[in-house]
This record gives sequence, structure tokens and C-alpha cells, in this order.
Amino acid sequence: MSHGNAIRVHKELTLPQSCMVVGWNEDAANLGRKVTDYLKLKLNGQEFAEIDPEEFFPMGGVAIKDNIARFPQSKFYVCPEQELMIFQSDSPSAEWYKFLTSILEVAEHHYRNLRELYVVGAMISFSAHTAPRELLAVSNLPEMKENLNQYNLNTDMDYQTAPGERPTLNSFLLWIAKEKNVPAASLWLPVPFYLAAVEDAQAQKKVLSFLDERLDLKIDFADLDQEIREQNEKLAAARSQFPQIDEYINRLESNLMLSEEENAELVKYIEDFLKGEN
Amino acid sequence: MGIKLYREPELQNPVLIASWPGIGNIGIIAVDTLRGILQAEEFGEIEPWDFFYPRRVLIKKGILDQLEFPSSKFYFKKIHGRDIIFFVGEEQPTEGGRMYAEGRKAYHMANMVLDIAQKFKCQRVYTSGAAVSLIHHTAKPRVWAVPNSESLIPEIREYKNTVLMSDIEGRGGQGNITGLNGLLLGVAKRRGLPGVCLMGEIPIYLQGLPLSYPKASKSVLEVLTCNLKIEVELDKLDELDQKVQRTIEEFYQQIPLEIRAQLDRLRHTTYTRPTDPGPITEEEKKRIMEDVEKFFKKRGTGG
Repeated sequence: MSHGNAIRVHKELTLPQSCMVVGWNEDAANLGRKVTDYLKLKLNGQEFAEIDPEEFFPMGGVAIKDNIARFPQSKFYVCPEQELMIFQSDSPSAEWYKFLTSILEVAEHHYRNLRELYVVGAMISFSAHTAPRELLAVSNLPEMKENLNQYNLNTDMDYQTAPGERPTLNSFLLWIAKEKNVPAASLWLPVPFYLAAVEDAQAQKKVLSFLDERLDLKIDFADLDQEIREQNEKLAAARSQFPQIDEYINRLESNLMLSEEENAELVKYIEDFLKGEN
Repeated sequence: MGIKLYREPELQNPVLIASWPGIGNIGIIAVDTLRGILQAEEFGEIEPWDFFYPRRVLIKKGILDQLEFPSSKFYFKKIHGRDIIFFVGEEQPTEGGRMYAEGRKAYHMANMVLDIAQKFKCQRVYTSGAAVSLIHHTAKPRVWAVPNSESLIPEIREYKNTVLMSDIEGRGGQGNITGLNGLLLGVAKRRGLPGVCLMGEIPIYLQGLPLSYPKASKSVLEVLTCNLKIEVELDKLDELDQKVQRTIEEFYQQIPLEIRAQLDRLRHTTYTRPTDPGPITEEEKKRIMEDVEKFFKKRGTGG
């Protein structure tokens, strides 16, 4: 299989049709990575292909994270029983069109009929973690929106890129899918700003629950529910140990804004506390 | 990657005038102003997605409505047997976070633009950009002209308010033109297509500011239109320049007095040949440059 030498296929597969979930490693609260990791784990996802990083990532050395040298990874996994394909990747920094087109080419090669594509993304929110979370969906085709309307999602979002900013990779992927007439949606979950650099199990569950229902995955979320309980307990402990944290979160719960300094202070408190707890 | 032509106009002895954004947007303002005044018609574009990351998304009621990319468009205007093709690129294709186009994509885009020039049998190529100079913002900018063939030098010497690199003090005919405004000239040379890059002067202390510099665009257009034997009113550029000059004056007044005193001396600079004694010596110019660079480096806006 040739994709301009960018794609390495380790195992040829044939499935009648499938859906695909895409997650990026650099998402806030690691949402994209955590969601795709969870799907791989629970559905026994098997790696079958990858995108060679050479054209898409700077090859000027390696990044170090948590003491470990990292290297860009862009891998495809398949869960044959659920007719699901998962793509988990670092975000490319060059040749975006070729990279995103490659994702769809792999899907189309292996699944003549790519039924639906979902891409997961986190949005930084200035609400408290105790506020109700609303999962937003942006569709690339009206029929996709129609299909999503039956779920508990906000499917009516209006948005345009602010001056000085650029669209997300998710929007770019949606647009390419639209060009190929593949129904696709980006799923956006607000993540409280003070959890953006850690993890947010509740956000993961919200996205995963939707995917479970829509794709009929039959996932048992008991472990994730336990993780949510533990995180909520840790956050409650942080509030009771540090009155300042409690005051800030109380204000967010009352829909009051914090100053920039207070935001930064809350982020540091929570990060230090959760990392210390771990 | 492809070129999309909506139509194929029949053109007589056309020239290509191309530009991309750069310092002070001097070239692109000049080219796009002329294109607008002449009401040139769009006839094609270079498909953007392999060159650029999108710049704007519009989502309406939960549906992705539009994804906009920087455009790279061709226009034409028929003018008495000397027709013009305009190419206006909204962005330079950059790689690796560089400011200006460089590398494989830039070379590819330059070739695509010249494919169109040669398809329509263009006789010559013009590009335009900025020449960062030790001039004052109250002075009329000159135009630095760089041809891609020696045979064009006698002609350029006849242009008004224009200098060759060998006329610029201390340059000895050397220099470089960064990005696609320069690269296109080089690729045209490789194809045997005569070309000239016209660069309007911009004061060194303005090069790092997010400002356009229409005064220099006007200088470029005066040379270009004279050479093409077309008469156009450039009042719009004057109006734009007046607005920009007010902003520049406000900025200028924020420059520390001792630096400003040095820069004020540039008001009295007259253009000289390297051999002529000027009102400011080369040594003094060097010192002004150093002081200015030091100040802007400290301020974080130096170019």
C-alpha cells in the first residue's frame, strides 16, 4: 500500500465498514490521548499501521517529558469486534493537509465504507469542575448533525476564528472529511482551566459515554467511575485543606470571574496538590 | 497541489506582476493597489491546502460552514497590446516556523506562478518588496531595482527615483532579497525569463513594526506604471499614507530622545553615490544603526 511513503502498514485488514475515533496527544487535560487510550484498553485495540513522522514533525532532536525522551507517534489501532478504528497521534507541525488526508486514506483503504469519523478535543473553560459539563458537537455535513441530534449534545454551536488565532486541526480534518463526503464530527468538552495541565476523568467519561452509546461499544465504565470519584475526593480534600482554593472555586461556582493572578494561583495550587497526592 | 484556471484569456505581450506580503507590505500593497485601480479580472488560483494551514473557520449552528485558506490568485488586465497578469499571494508558504518562504514549498510555488507566466507567454516578470534603509520616514523612499539579467541594467538606469544595488552606499552591488519576492526572480532567471524586483525603501526603525508603509508602495508604483506606460491616480495610497504617518509619528515620539536625535539627522540626508561626501559620514551611519538596533532589540520589536 503506497501513500507517498508516509504510511507504514503492519497488518492488512478487511472489514465491511467501520467508524473512526481520532485523538491528539497534546490536548488540554490529555483528553484526546486519554479517551483513545481508554478505548484501546477496553476494546483490545491492535496496532496495524502508523504514519512516518519524517515529513510532519521537526527532526531536530527529541523532547523530554516526565524524564523520558519522546518521539512523535501517529498510530492506527483496530478493534474488529466493534468495527472501530482508533487513531492516536501527536499533532503534526508541517504538511498538515497530507497528514490529515493520510488518516482518511488509511481508513478508506481498510474500510471501504467509513461510516463516521469522530475527533476528540478539549476546550478550556472558566467554570468550576462541579458545573454541569456540556458536550458540544460540530458536524461537517447536515445529515451528521441530524444523526447527532438524538443524543444529549449541544449541536447548535456558532463560532468563528478570533483575530490572530488559527483554526484547530480538528476543523481541518472535518473539512477534508467533508471534501471526501465522509460524515464527521468534532466533539468538544469544556475542561476547567485548573485541570488543563493534569487530567479530567469526568471529561473523559462524558466523551466516552457518548461514543459508547453512538457506536454501541458496550463498555463497562466502573473503573472510570472510580477514577472520577477519586478525583472528586482529591479536589474536595484540596478545598478543605486550603481555604483559598475553596474560595476561588466557590466564586467560579457562583459564576464569578477570578483575576489573572488568582487563576494562576488556583492552577498552581491544584496542580501541586494533585501531583503531590499522586 | 494544483493550479485552477477558471478561464484562459487571450493576452498580448503580457507581463507578470507578482507579490506576497513582506516588510511593511510594500510590494503587495503596490501590486494589489494597481490590480484594484485597473479592475483586473480574476482568472485562476493556486490551490492552497498543500501550502498553507487554514486561517479561519466558520461554524454555523453546529455545522462547519467554511474553512478559509490564504489565497494565491491570478488576475489579468488587457491594456493596448501590453497586457498584465497579476499574481497576489496572501501569505508566503513557510516551513519550520520561518517568517519568509524558503525551501521546497517556496520553490514549488515560484515554479507554479512562472508556469502560468510562461503559459500566457509573459515577456517579463516584476516582483516587489521592501528595502530596509537608513532613511527618515519623512523622506520620499527610493526604489531599489534588482534585475535578473545584466541586459536590463541600462534600462533600469533610466527609471526615476531608482537605484541599483551598486548605487547603495556600502553595498558594492551585493545584498539579498528574502522570501518569494526574491525567489521568483531567481527561478525566472533559471527559466530565461527576464525579471526585475522593485523594492521600496522603509526606514530601518520601522521594519519590525506591524505597520504597512504605503509611501514606499507609491514609489514602487510610480516606477512600475511609468515603465508599463500606464497612467493611474494614486490618491488612495496618499490617503492611506497620511493615516500611517500619524501612527508612525506617535511611535517616533516614544523613542528615547538621544536615539531620536540621531534619527532626526536622517531627515537631512540626501542621496549620494558611494564616492560623494554626504551630510552624514559612513561612521556616523554605522553608529546610528547600532544605537537603533540596540534600542529595538531591548524593546523587543526589532526586525
